[in-house]
Amino acid sequence: MKPAPFDYCRPSTVAQALEALGSSESSRVLAGGQSLIPAMNFRLTDVSVLVDINRVEGLDTVACDPGGVTVGAAATQTRVLDDDDTASVVGGLRVALRHVGHLQIRNRGTVCGSLAHADPAAELPALAVAAGAMIDVSGPAGERQVAAGDFFLGPFWTALDDGELITRVRFPAPPAGSVTIVDEVSRRAGDFAVAGLVAIVEADGGAVRSARLVGFGLGGAPTRLRTAEAAISGWAADHPSDGLTEAVMADTADAFDDIHATAWYRREAVAALTVRAARRASATRKAA
Amino acid sequence: MTIEAVSEVEVQLTINGRNHRHRVPSRLLLSDYIRDTVGLTGTHLGCEHGYCGACTVIVDGDAVRSCLMLAVQADGAEVRTVEDLAPTGPDSLSPMQQAFHDNHALQCGFCTAGFLMTLESVDPDRWREPERMRELLSGNLCRCTGYQNIVAAVSEAWSEYDGNGGSNDG
Repeated sequence: MKPAPFDYCRPSTVAQALEALGSSESSRVLAGGQSLIPAMNFRLTDVSVLVDINRVEGLDTVACDPGGVTVGAAATQTRVLDDDDTASVVGGLRVALRHVGHLQIRNRGTVCGSLAHADPAAELPALAVAAGAMIDVSGPAGERQVAAGDFFLGPFWTALDDGELITRVRFPAPPAGSVTIVDEVSRRAGDFAVAGLVAIVEADGGAVRSARLVGFGLGGAPTRLRTAEAAISGWAADHPSDGLTEAVMADTADAFDDIHATAWYRREAVAALTVRAARRASATRKAA
Repeated sequence: MTIEAVSEVEVQLTINGRNHRHRVPSRLLLSDYIRDTVGLTGTHLGCEHGYCGACTVIVDGDAVRSCLMLAVQADGAEVRTVEDLAPTGPDSLSPMQQAFHDNHALQCGFCTAGFLMTLESVDPDRWREPERMRELLSGNLCRCTGYQNIVAAVSEAWSEYDGNGGSNDG
């Protein structure tokens, strides 16, 4: 399996990258390439101009401050995963990245590329939505900022317009004392999730105070579980699970079937993961 | 300034310390470049979509799937392949290769180069714990051994690494 012929360019500035992207209707951005190149090898994606942004000045940065972490479009997942400063400010990035692919994939794959690709089963888009990340986009009309909650529109479908590229993403620090849980059901370690959950939970004295819950692997965009967020408030470790399970089922009615699992299985899995996260978060804070 | 998009590119890189320079199609994968253009066939191609890890090589110190990278992306890079592991040529074995041999960590051998390059790229101290070691090895598929003998080989090679040929703290 080899990609079909295409023209390649390697710009060194964002302006050059945008010019190259605008030169053809079927231009694509090459960052880590860990999803794009397989799609090209399979000839699932038609690319006429491939714009390699890996040597664009300033895009490979990872910057931390007490308020959050900013990850440039060419920064690899390994770089973010291994960065102790990042882990201390936005712990969820390390927790989520441990589920992403394998070492060899993370060595090339990028955080921003995962957002742009928007695989319904990917962890990072769900983390971005749960964390309230802001995505910086550059395009022919200039720069704009898109909240992660508005960015993911469906499977492999984002708010990016033709000729636009992500330049960086900002993950704000979660509330002090919260715990970020990324949990999933997958066939093997490193595989894409059949269904998964990102939970950023604040707990107090053994009871959950509030949480942001985002399900993924449900077939479409990452799904904010708003009914469950209401139901989880006040949860303690010995709480019965029925109400929370029902809430998740109500939040995930749009889940899809595919060859890996039925919609029903996915919804039950996300419900079980949510109950597990609630138990873990309330137990964690009790011990602390 | 316009950056021209081209269907053929000049690539200059080192593989196992030797300089190579070729004019190649933009679409040429690094894996095919290594095997077909340079002629180093120790790197094996299994799935060609990033699933099996057989084609793992080291690019600027990092283990990568060479089927998920274009040759032109390695322009200016230092690449290492399995041919670089034996210390004194084809008749010798590196400690990890010797441990694979001694522990029957391969049967058909198709996946072995990928395992060896993954292992060569990492700091053993970060991956020594049994669970971490299995996590590391999960990025390479082996359909013969069931992995047990690979784990045994890695444990043996890394215990020797740890004590520099002497003591072993597991």
